[in-house]
Amino acid sequence: MWAPLLLSLQVTVAATLLIICIGGGLAVWLARREPRGRALIETAIHLPLVLPPSVVGYYLLIVLGRRGPVSTWLEWDLLFSWPAAVIAATVVGMPLMFQASRAAIASVNPDLEQVARTLGASELGVLWRVTLPLARRGVIAGVVLSATRALGEFGATLMVAGNIPGRTQTLPLAIYDAVQSNDTDLANAMVLLMTAVGFVSLWWVRRFDIGPRPQRSGTPV
Amino acid sequence: MSARLLVRARRRLDSFQLDVDFEAGSETFVLFGASGAGKSSTLNAIAGLLHPDEGEITLDGEMLFRRELGGARVNLATRQRGVGYVFQNYALFPHLNAADNIGFAVRRQPRAAQQVEKMLERMHLSHLGKHYPHELSGGQQQRVAIARALAHRPRLLLLDEPFAALDQPLKERLQVELLQLRRELDLVVLYVTHNLDDAFAMGDRIAVLQEGRVLQRGRPEDVLAEPADSDVAQIMGIRNIFHARVTARSPEGVQFDWDGITLQAGDEASVDTGEWATLYIVPEEVKIIYPDVPLSDTVSHNVVDAEVNGYQRAATHHSLRAKVSNGAIVETRFAPSAYSELDLKAGAPLRLALRPAGIRVLRQRRGKRR
Repeated sequence: MWAPLLLSLQVTVAATLLIICIGGGLAVWLARREPRGRALIETAIHLPLVLPPSVVGYYLLIVLGRRGPVSTWLEWDLLFSWPAAVIAATVVGMPLMFQASRAAIASVNPDLEQVARTLGASELGVLWRVTLPLARRGVIAGVVLSATRALGEFGATLMVAGNIPGRTQTLPLAIYDAVQSNDTDLANAMVLLMTAVGFVSLWWVRRFDIGPRPQRSGTPV
Repeated sequence: MSARLLVRARRRLDSFQLDVDFEAGSETFVLFGASGAGKSSTLNAIAGLLHPDEGEITLDGEMLFRRELGGARVNLATRQRGVGYVFQNYALFPHLNAADNIGFAVRRQPRAAQQVEKMLERMHLSHLGKHYPHELSGGQQQRVAIARALAHRPRLLLLDEPFAALDQPLKERLQVELLQLRRELDLVVLYVTHNLDDAFAMGDRIAVLQEGRVLQRGRPEDVLAEPADSDVAQIMGIRNIFHARVTARSPEGVQFDWDGITLQAGDEASVDTGEWATLYIVPEEVKIIYPDVPLSDTVSHNVVDAEVNGYQRAATHHSLRAKVSNGAIVETRFAPSAYSELDLKAGAPLRLALRPAGIRVLRQRRGKRR
């Protein structure tokens, strides 16, 4: 149980960092601007939410496989290594981060950002000192949800990283193996662990989502 | 007064074309007009939050913006313009306390803490520095917003309907404070409002805006006394605007035919006999005639029969609307103590004298309906 757990943590931490950078970046970009094709971009980001994991896995196989761009241009053979699991978890977890943080950023009163500019703040300063602090609940909720989703990733991971004990076997895959080999005790322990993690993270997000402090000024409370 | 702020800006907006042109010195300059007249867009253009299609904005000799044929383009970023901006809803940062709101612009500067402390004191907020915006009253929030806008020592302060949400006594107190502050810091203040009383209380000069254009500029009392045209008159809340035809001109003034009533106006208007003109009858110059008292000289002209249509009391004056013999409604205004012995119930007959000095001819804007 410990090897899959450690590997799962490793994959989840790496995937979450990627999700924060890419998903958060996309959210900041698309919350306030209307680039052409915005609807298309957002739909594409959300797609892994509704596609079967095998479809996501198939696409990743093409991108990461021997004839794919990563292998030919970067000469980096990722398939069936733990970084492949990271990429699968990132793609599947990203929509949750994007959705939650984009909505939170968009709900920040734009006047607050404007007034910060008149007070001498740069664009980065506006983001760091005004937008993100005010959107933090949604952003944190997005991080927690997407990290939990990344931790639980199974199907796409199986296709691109395989199920190699000690190398790419994460917790969800280990549960599958344990059930296949009738190791009920092990399966029970891991299932309980995953359930507890999922429960706690949803519980925590709920606390964050409900009863936000007043975000808009002007109406004395 | 030498101009410190020059604004010339043109910008196509969703519902109208913004096309403003004015200059302001070390004074409170009021942008006055209905909502949607382009007042806030003008402030945004000066602050750099809206980019004109064409124009030039200069503050104390420094070019903030320029975009026009044949000139080098300038478009200083908002953060470099040195402008203080107080938004209509104050836009205080809800995640920062009062002191941190005020210190937002200066927190990296040496002695920032003292500066904030001084500003808190100046605005009577010393005991509230640790309070968050939602723990402050409307007036306190407003003070924090002004303090925050002034902390980085701007040369120009933009105020967008700053006191709209406050009750009257508080508003008057803050207005006085603001005027003091303006003099102390030698600021150019641009004050946007749709409230005529605010415009008079604050404005050294005002610009009347409609549909993105400046219709008239001047001291508020001058604009009210002599509106440039009927649009300005309406925006300034002037009632008693009528159309009449010029029937004669004489050294004493102009004679009009107003739907069957002959009016003598003292105004030396540049209208010719036979022309139609727009008249404004100053409500304070409409007098009610006592039935049993012989006519004095001052009310011997333009006497018309009328009937009371409505009566309204305000704190400083009473006003009466009367239907005159040609069917028009004329409003008259007088001190609350006046005419108290007359029966002015709706429907009661009375006679009015429209004093010639109170009949003004308004220029009609060319190419406009009405």
